[in-house]
Amino acid sequence: MKSECDITVTVNGTRHSRTVSARTLLVDFIRNDLGLTGTHDSCDHGVCGSCTVQMNGEAVRSCLTFAVQADGAEIETVEALSTGPDLHPVQKAFMQEHGLQCGFCTPGILVTVREFLSRHRNPSEDEIRLALSGNLCRCTGYQNIIKAVMTADRIWER
Amino acid sequence: MASTKTLGVSVLRKEDPRLLRGQGQFVDDIQIPGTKHAAFVRSPYGHARIVGIDLSAARAMPGVLGAFTCADLWPDGAPELGALKQTPGQKPCPQLPLARDRVRFVGEAVAVIVADSRALAEDAAEMVEVTYDALDAVTEVHAAMAASAPTLHDTVPGNVAARWTQSTGDVEAAFRKADRIVSDTYRMQRYSGIPMETRGILVARNALNDEMTIWPSGQWPYVQRDLTAAHLGLNEGQIHVIHPDVGGGFGIKLDLYPEDLVIPRVAQLIENPIKWIEDRQEHMLTAIHSRQMEFKTEIALAKDGRILGLKVQAISDNGAYMRALGPGNVSLAICGLPGPYYIPHYRAEALCVLTNKSPTSAYRGAGSPEAAFARERLFDKAAHELGIDPATFRMKNLITPDKMPYQTGLVSLEATNTYDSGDFPRALREALDRFGYDAFRAGQAAERKSGKLRGVGICAYTQMAGVTGFESAAVSVDKTGLVTLVSGAAPNGQGHVTMLSQVVADAFQISIEQVKVVFSDSGRLPTGLGTFGSRTAAMGGNAAHGASIRVLDKARRVAALLFQAPVEDIRWGDGGAYVDGAPDNRIPLKDLATAAHPGGTRPADMDPGLDARFYYETDQTPFAYGVHVVGVEVDPETCAVKIDRYVVVADCGTIINPLMVEGQVVGGIAQGVGGALLEEFVYDDTGQMLNASLLDYKLPTSLELPMIEIHHFETPSPVNPLGVKGTAEGGAIAGHAAVANAVADAIAHLGAEVRTTPLTPSVIHGLIHVS
Repeated sequence: MKSECDITVTVNGTRHSRTVSARTLLVDFIRNDLGLTGTHDSCDHGVCGSCTVQMNGEAVRSCLTFAVQADGAEIETVEALSTGPDLHPVQKAFMQEHGLQCGFCTPGILVTVREFLSRHRNPSEDEIRLALSGNLCRCTGYQNIIKAVMTADRIWER
Repeated sequence: MASTKTLGVSVLRKEDPRLLRGQGQFVDDIQIPGTKHAAFVRSPYGHARIVGIDLSAARAMPGVLGAFTCADLWPDGAPELGALKQTPGQKPCPQLPLARDRVRFVGEAVAVIVADSRALAEDAAEMVEVTYDALDAVTEVHAAMAASAPTLHDTVPGNVAARWTQSTGDVEAAFRKADRIVSDTYRMQRYSGIPMETRGILVARNALNDEMTIWPSGQWPYVQRDLTAAHLGLNEGQIHVIHPDVGGGFGIKLDLYPEDLVIPRVAQLIENPIKWIEDRQEHMLTAIHSRQMEFKTEIALAKDGRILGLKVQAISDNGAYMRALGPGNVSLAICGLPGPYYIPHYRAEALCVLTNKSPTSAYRGAGSPEAAFARERLFDKAAHELGIDPATFRMKNLITPDKMPYQTGLVSLEATNTYDSGDFPRALREALDRFGYDAFRAGQAAERKSGKLRGVGICAYTQMAGVTGFESAAVSVDKTGLVTLVSGAAPNGQGHVTMLSQVVADAFQISIEQVKVVFSDSGRLPTGLGTFGSRTAAMGGNAAHGASIRVLDKARRVAALLFQAPVEDIRWGDGGAYVDGAPDNRIPLKDLATAAHPGGTRPADMDPGLDARFYYETDQTPFAYGVHVVGVEVDPETCAVKIDRYVVVADCGTIINPLMVEGQVVGGIAQGVGGALLEEFVYDDTGQMLNASLLDYKLPTSLELPMIEIHHFETPSPVNPLGVKGTAEGGAIAGHAAVANAVADAIAHLGAEVRTTPLTPSVIHGLIHVS
């Protein structure tokens, strides 16, 4: 197979055409080729969820996805949540509930939560814990993240 | 006149919008054109002699700018990364920045490659041929101390790098008076902080100022600058250190690591900016480990439950080298072991033993989680043998408020353990009440008969809060009225922008939005210390406060001149100065700053500028404290542990931001729960780590942790102007001990004895079924 490939990816609404090495990970493409450093690589083996982005409407691990797999896809990263001066309601909820400390895991969690809440209303604490179980956070102990999801569920009109 | 109260208010964090938008500037987010990337060649052996290193194939690989061994970077002899503090008789066992003759743990760096990309650097690293002569490895402390053990360092015979005793009172006399002596040995496992952001460093040459700019993902940028300068033979002023966003530290980023010297040294040889970002496997293998300690304990008791004396031998598994804080954990462990209990007759021996594993150093609690686990297990055993309820036993032995400030007589490498203020019995009483302890105990016999395995665990703790020395702050007001604080702190998630904004805003009676905070930039503030040991509120906060009030003094003097009034008649409120009795005629800060500017109106004997630099220096460490009471249920079939309830009553002095304090407590508890139930670095006896990934090293997820109930009361600390204490480590200290005790209590009636952690389901199963 070829070692260099041409891909076209739409990221946060903007179309990018690039030549990438076949082995380039999507997380590295997003961060280094496109300069969108909000998405983070914490474990590069798909366990922690910090690299989570939306690809064609589904939350995926960008550290376990090759950039060439994203050819023709629509990607949304954390940077898509809020493009103007106002934070997205999910982000507002996290701020209100002190749902982040160092902020390194936060982008992956926000993408996961946005997808979860777009498909669920009025989730219980147990449902939220289960939905978040694929995202590791070492700072918060998850308590305020769960509260943030409950608040986001209330304040996000969707 | 409106008063802007910010201290004690749960102000929302100023750092959040940026981080929530994905606009953090962690070191890997700082992207400088032309940056080259480093990868390390690392030892696959736990212990081996290096016979030869062949870099020729690596150097020929595409995109490679350079490949270096220790001898290449330091032909005249490499600097040594050794301990910064000494215990009596301590033997040196420093690490070299790249291994030269010997490797002593799997993952130890042997060579470095720099290439156009990390991927190309790793391709080249695979082409490096290192010839090793494998040696016997030793991975357990008693095996390491045995006569037949391989010697890791010629300077450390018997692999015991440090050994000393500390004592208070007359412990032998106390033991002679004992009605009962209880003893046991407790072992805490090797685990560590595992921040979500791995380590990293970016070094770039600043040709304009002939400086090396360093962005370290670290907790003490100025110390890193000083040590880097010393080791590279530079002036401190030739290094510009800038603190980036840091994605979790927990003590793991509080060291001078080999990579911290190698990358700057490589940057001296290759003109490009050089970046190294640790990957997760490197992190598991080579970032500092912690906690692995064995306590042989013996307690002398009166039959009414009073503790007469306590003897401890604490053996720390220190790994292969002692770097910056190598001896610290066990020093803090033996000095912190008595905790909030009245134990005037105490003797503790500490040992640092070397093994072929990653070097150990401070991790949240740094010795106190280890010590609290051993102590609180021993207390449960002692209470049981005396036929006394464990809560009653603790209440009987807590230091009472009339004894405060209480001098333990113990001095560790980091602090004199004098408890400055607090009411320990009140914390225990309230925690037990809130938990419903008496009702739990009353119902436990019936529950056990019905086959339920439910238990309650208690840990009362003290926490060094925070490490002293000094901290620096520079406060300046510009002509637009913005108040800028440059602080020597180096946050890694704690919310210090907000906390210190509150301190400064409170002094100036302005909104926190009018305060800008910058951290650890040596271009803006010549020196500082950093963020570790729960110190930033007590040290950074008091430094910021001190600088602020010095600026306010100048502002009042300028106002007095402008008002043509005596300075004693000047009042301050709502961000401005006015003459007493005339609050509607106020001069705002920005006008005072303009007047103070050179060429403006200021007293003849006053230096221009509304600015001040202040170093807060003290050797008096505040101590926070609290009690955790935890209820668990163990499934008799799966042996999984569910935490039903978790109650905390704590006192961390005057609280600046209650919401953030709570966040620190919960975060610390999560790490304690991880230690009690889940986390461990597992090595085989050749020194291979068997679980060097997050798949196999189990971090707590959202499913493992309950909602924590936290109640604070505030006893202001008398040892600093703001009356504050730190809080960050209490959760990690007590969480591990309290959860372990709860599980132990849940299975005690089955004859199970808990002496080690983690209490995984398979361990619990073994404990239940062996008896």
